[in-house]
Amino acid sequence: MSALRVTDLWVSYGQVAAVRGLSLHVEPGEAVVLLGPNGAGKTSAVEAICGFVPKRRGKVEFLGEDISGLSASTIARKGLGFVPQWRDLFSTFSVEETLVAAEAAARRRKPTPIEDIYALFPVLRERKAQLAGSLSGGEQQMLAIGRALVTNPKLLLLDEPSAGLASGITLALVQSINRVRESGVAILLVEQNMEIARAIGERCCMLAAGDLAWQGSMKEAIERNEAARVYFGEH
Amino acid sequence: MLVELGLVLIAGLKFGAIYALAALGLVVVHKATKTVNFAHGAFAMLGAFASFLIVVQWEWPYWTAYLLIPITIGAVAALLEFVILRPLRRADMFTVVIATVFLGIALGEAFRLTYNTELLAVPGMFAGSPFVYWGVIITQETLWVIAGALVTAVGCVIVFRYGKLGRGMRAMAASVRGAQICGYSVDQVYMVAWCLGGALAGLAGVFVAPIAGVSVELSIAVITAGFVAGVLGGFDSLKGAILGGLLLGVIESLAAAYISSAMKNCVSFFLLFFVLMWRPEGLFPEKVARRV
Amino acid sequence: MFKRFAFGGVAPFVAVLLCTVLGLALENYLKYVIAIALVSMLIGVALVVLVGLARCITLASGAVMAIGAYTSTLLMTRVGIPYLIGLVCAAATGALAGWLIALPGTRFRGHNLAMVTLVFQAVAIILLREAKWLTGGAEGIHVPQPVIFGWRVANDADFLLLIGLLSAVAILLLSILVRGPFGKNLQAASGNEIAAEAFGISVPAYLRAAFVISSMAVGFSGALAAPRIRILDPESFGVLPSIFMLAYPIVGGMQSVWGGLLGGGGLRILPEFLRPVADFQELFFASLVIAVVMFFPGGMVELLRRSTGRLFSRTNKQLAGEAPPLPAIIPAEPIAHVAPTMPANSSEVLLRVEGIDRHFGALHAVNAASITVPVGGIHGLIGPNGAGKTSLFNIISGFLEAEQGDIDFAGTSLLDRPARDRIALGITRTFQHVAVFGQLSCLENVIIGRGRNAVVDSIKQSFDHFVGGRAAEAAIREALAALDAVGLADQASKPASSLSLGNQRRLELARAIVSNPRLILLDEPVSGLASDEVEELRQLLSRTSAERQIAMLVVEHNIPFVAKLCRTLSVMGSGAIVAEGNPKEVITRPGVRQLYFGEQTAA
Repeated sequence: MSALRVTDLWVSYGQVAAVRGLSLHVEPGEAVVLLGPNGAGKTSAVEAICGFVPKRRGKVEFLGEDISGLSASTIARKGLGFVPQWRDLFSTFSVEETLVAAEAAARRRKPTPIEDIYALFPVLRERKAQLAGSLSGGEQQMLAIGRALVTNPKLLLLDEPSAGLASGITLALVQSINRVRESGVAILLVEQNMEIARAIGERCCMLAAGDLAWQGSMKEAIERNEAARVYFGEH
Repeated sequence: MLVELGLVLIAGLKFGAIYALAALGLVVVHKATKTVNFAHGAFAMLGAFASFLIVVQWEWPYWTAYLLIPITIGAVAALLEFVILRPLRRADMFTVVIATVFLGIALGEAFRLTYNTELLAVPGMFAGSPFVYWGVIITQETLWVIAGALVTAVGCVIVFRYGKLGRGMRAMAASVRGAQICGYSVDQVYMVAWCLGGALAGLAGVFVAPIAGVSVELSIAVITAGFVAGVLGGFDSLKGAILGGLLLGVIESLAAAYISSAMKNCVSFFLLFFVLMWRPEGLFPEKVARRV
Repeated sequence: MFKRFAFGGVAPFVAVLLCTVLGLALENYLKYVIAIALVSMLIGVALVVLVGLARCITLASGAVMAIGAYTSTLLMTRVGIPYLIGLVCAAATGALAGWLIALPGTRFRGHNLAMVTLVFQAVAIILLREAKWLTGGAEGIHVPQPVIFGWRVANDADFLLLIGLLSAVAILLLSILVRGPFGKNLQAASGNEIAAEAFGISVPAYLRAAFVISSMAVGFSGALAAPRIRILDPESFGVLPSIFMLAYPIVGGMQSVWGGLLGGGGLRILPEFLRPVADFQELFFASLVIAVVMFFPGGMVELLRRSTGRLFSRTNKQLAGEAPPLPAIIPAEPIAHVAPTMPANSSEVLLRVEGIDRHFGALHAVNAASITVPVGGIHGLIGPNGAGKTSLFNIISGFLEAEQGDIDFAGTSLLDRPARDRIALGITRTFQHVAVFGQLSCLENVIIGRGRNAVVDSIKQSFDHFVGGRAAEAAIREALAALDAVGLADQASKPASSLSLGNQRRLELARAIVSNPRLILLDEPVSGLASDEVEELRQLLSRTSAERQIAMLVVEHNIPFVAKLCRTLSVMGSGAIVAEGNPKEVITRPGVRQLYFGEQTAA
């Protein structure tokens, strides 16, 4: 049973068909990267999977259960963690309050103890009482991931976690995401940055203009320089 | 002279405490749902009317009014949120304002139909001999209103800030998507917010019934006062709502005493105008962290 | 010249006159009812302008009406001014009240505006009540019978005639404004502020005008009704009547004159039919409004249109406020372009952006960016997410301020100039999330693109449009030609919202070229299009630029598209321009590749 199975997903915003018939799957404990230039539909696909955006057609199954059409908060409670592109943190909450808020909502699911989150991201422990809105970009990203982990997810969806981050921070980011995967959480990563994608993903799906342009193992993607073809046309 | 000022201030605090309650309810709903409920005043009027029923009509003990009415009005508010506001969740602000404005009218009319008099009188809870401090006469009722309303308001802020009930609303106020990611249900949080807002309005109605009587005008007066007090406090700040309410009450009382009684209402207009134009974030805004 | 005399614009006027004539044939009580209903129709149309077109919630209509009524009455009784002049003064004081409300009103919308108007309403009534020496206070004042050039208006028939004629004229004037460029620009301003500003529509100015014009009409209607009401007292213009007047445009239909007529007249007459349940009237009205807002947002006009279907489709279109059918004007000669003074491959620089710098807090969003666009050239701007392209683009198009640097356009500096000045200078733009004015027809969208959209200009144009004057004809001709150039001539009278995305992007292009600009700024023009549509649009852009000598600056993520379309390309990364030159050469540079993919190990 796949952790996540998406079949023939179509997402439109009014006139715009942002995603046209996307199918992909993520196995338990696996890390898959969804790559593609901007406007390819990656964010739309991921937001539809998480229930923030309605889908026009297609099916989404999480751990064997059909979650198409459920509300975002219901899907989150089932164990699908989401770290959106601009993090959507509670800017007036402190780090600790953020994690506590997530824990309170997840009480029924046996949430991850907050101590474990601090063990994964020691810098958050240092900044426990600081307001989320005043953290640096990298720290905010860690808090967003930590918040998603509190609900003890089986699959973590990250949308361009490196966006807006200085290149030095990305190493720490990659390490933490890999550590999360090692603890048994499947990862679906949306990225534009090939470097990060390569460091995290085992498999790769390339999206261009809403269509799945290519998919295969990460090794193959690098060897065949697929990204260049998808991004730049025939080159 | 000083005694007169003292009396004016006490009167101001009395109304101010009620405005604080009214503003609090309005701001709670706005914080959680980003909409202003223009029927909020009507909820207060219904609370006052229910107080009339309980105290005058059915002659139950007064304290039951203070207990039962917030619960009932809160439930009514939650029901109305479900029936009218939830279908309009995706509509724009314009539509929601229109809907709540006319909802308030409908509720007012429904009241007017049941009791065809213009004004219903309700006695106060305490009728004993007043206290006198330094020549200033304070009735027991006044003391009760000031203390009771303020204690409730502060208690509400504490619950909101630290209690589980408040956490979902605060999270949703800070980021709707972030809250959903944690698993907070928008439907649930919005309904709870309306319930709390309605309960606070109903309670304000019970406090104000002996002072102003029950009438349709009460509904307009409460929404106006609550809104202006909220704006004074910085519309998304709970403690600001309380402070704004007290400030509004005192300023109005001073204006009524030293300028003229009619000027009392003009005070609202000028305060609203000036704050919106020159300090739209309010006089007591909550700390705002840098944009995430 | 009078060929295109707009039937649609006169129809409401005729309808009002017919109601008057009908009323004159009925018994006295009905004469009274119809007279009052006619005043409500005028109010309904006035509120369509403010609440429907400008989307401003006003709870102060009662106060404005009172101001007009008291003005004319006091002038008649205290100063002895004749009624007709009193009417004009009432309109003036109404306009003044509208202007006062607009002061804070244009700064905020939604609930803040509603509350400001509510408080204004309450205060105005209180002031009227308190100023006993002037207004007679709560007891009210008696309104004398008007005398107009010797004709004493005394009985029901007289009143009906007077009210009917005057309200018909007022409704005609409002009608002309609503259906002409003023109304269209107002809808654009409230529908999509950014796009409106980009084409020279000053949103605050239009909202202010809406308040003033609407309040002028409401004040006038107060003075019109005053003699018939006979006794003015402040309470009858209180909060409740005020809020119920808001129901007129909402129930009738918010976007058209007919909506105001049906809503105002219908809701005013309804109580006559609700006699048996008179007590429940207000409750019924309030519930009606809630039901309309929830289930029939288009109001009575929309209901009528749907139920009569295609039977009266042309009339229905006019009921809903759509443009009347187009005249068969086929441009006899091609539109004269501004004659190019330079050959196509000119190296003369049209747009020079130099050293633009911009921070957002600690983020250095734009770092000393420089771009040049030659006359008639097409220049692309690409870069990964967060590189600063959008910020730079917004600075160039006037929606964001630069901290440092300069933007020179054919000798004029664009720095510190608001977005709405650009069109007059010859710069237009398109939008990443397509920003057509959905409620307006394609033709109307493109007409807005011509510029010259200041409030006063649009009012003049509205009257010109009504009589089918030459300027209006020229506008339509030019707009049709632009639509034809992008292949949308057959969609001219359809509402923009009914077009597919690809066609909406073409419409945006038509709107951007109709003013014969020298530079078009395109923001992700092919975002969301399928690959065949992308190619079609690329060809269209290329052809348009060549034929009309228009330079283009294109921000895009679709790199193959940009490589084919643009003659030169700049690449942005982390706020700075990291490469520029010939597209095919630029995108193969390792530095550019690295920007998108990070460090490349040998493949």
